Amino acid sequence: MMISRNENERVLIEPSVNSVRVSIKIKQSDEIENILVDKFTRFLTKRAENFLILRRVPIEGYDISFLLTNYHDEVMMKNKLVDFIIEFMEDVDKEISEMKLFLNARARFVAEAYLSVFD
Amino acid sequence: MLQLESTNLLVQETFANAFATDYTPVSLDRTITDFDFTTYHVSTPETKTKILISISINCWKDLAKYGVLDLLTSKYSKYPFIQILADQPEAGYHFSLYIDLEQASFENEEAKKELISELSLLKRNCFAAPFLKAFDRYAVLSKEQPADPNNIYGEDSHHNTNEEVLTINYRDLESIYITPSNDRVTVIFSTIFKDDTDQVFSKVFLQEFSDARKRSIQKAPQVINWHKEIPLEIRHLEKENTDNKTYITFVLFPRHLSTEEVRWNTITHIQLFRSYFHYHIKIVKCYLHQRMRFRVSSFTKILNRARRDVDEEEMRAERKTASGRRFEMRA
Repeated sequence: MMISRNENERVLIEPSVNSVRVSIKIKQSDEIENILVDKFTRFLTKRAENFLILRRVPIEGYDISFLLTNYHDEVMMKNKLVDFIIEFMEDVDKEISEMKLFLNARARFVAEAYLSVFD
Repeated sequence: MLQLESTNLLVQETFANAFATDYTPVSLDRTITDFDFTTYHVSTPETKTKILISISINCWKDLAKYGVLDLLTSKYSKYPFIQILADQPEAGYHFSLYIDLEQASFENEEAKKELISELSLLKRNCFAAPFLKAFDRYAVLSKEQPADPNNIYGEDSHHNTNEEVLTINYRDLESIYITPSNDRVTVIFSTIFKDDTDQVFSKVFLQEFSDARKRSIQKAPQVINWHKEIPLEIRHLEKENTDNKTYITFVLFPRHLSTEEVRWNTITHIQLFRSYFHYHIKIVKCYLHQRMRFRVSSFTKILNRARRDVDEEEMRAERKTASGRRFEMRA
């Protein structure tokens, strides 16, 4: 099952007998967002063991994959897991755009600080 | 620390101590590094009261071509107790000053401070030579052919194209080009980013550098970025951009070259541009990294909330086969 807002933002949900795989493609509209998303997902996947449900390598065409198996269902509550995935999707977009804004603001500040000493 | 200091802190402290009235002479042997592959060596080869300071610069050859020795001599020769070893500097270094502490005397504290700062600015003084040469050339040119006040769009007059471009290859593959003309001095930096991420971030930064002037700081030099293209001024020097260099052009206007004081200020800041630029890209990366770390830990927390609060005992008790047998862990 695929849910997509547009070509660059989509979620793929693949059910099977004992597991569900959820893959997310995060919005990337330019080079900078591209880098930020890449860094961020790398950061997450490196810590996959803390994130029980996270796959180390996302499936092709997506940025990040979660695999929910029956084991996870045993140790965690189903509705909370769903909550987590939804919250994750919301936060990731927000975080990426915040980081981008920060980068721009910082660049501006630095540039002005440098140029203002020429006087 | 937003601005980088053009003085070398370690050199400064060494001499601040050495010139202090209660200084007990000790033997020194310090190697100090600075930006752009600059190395200082502070030592006391003969006696403890005579300090030898040597500097080694990657692009000394270029600097020497533009009269760095004359500049340094004029800077340091007014102190009788400093011996300038220009012809035979310490082995492995390009320029040495031999300072005799026993004969050192100052009129007042001010003079002492000035010398200390001049010594710590040794690198800047070296790099200043080509800039000063270009500024002097500008002064000559502007007298010969005063800037046309009607030339409001800043178009190049055809006279300027034959002017010599001063080149400083300050790092192995990166250079500074300085071109004087009758109404401005153009300084072009070429720089390389080893990391692709840095390259992308640099675009954001450079965009802001060129916008900053339009927005608020009208007095600043104009910044033009060329990314991969080779600027027209140096196209005859660099045929092809093979190393993926980024070019940044600074246009210094007469206001940046008017008085001696302003000139030195301009030189001090402009020669640190590359270091400043790279330094701040690193800072931003570092900050983003921290931020991501924080975000990841907050995600972990949310995920852990989903965990069922069951302890081991309960789990074991729950699992039974259809016939009522329990699972047991075997050691």
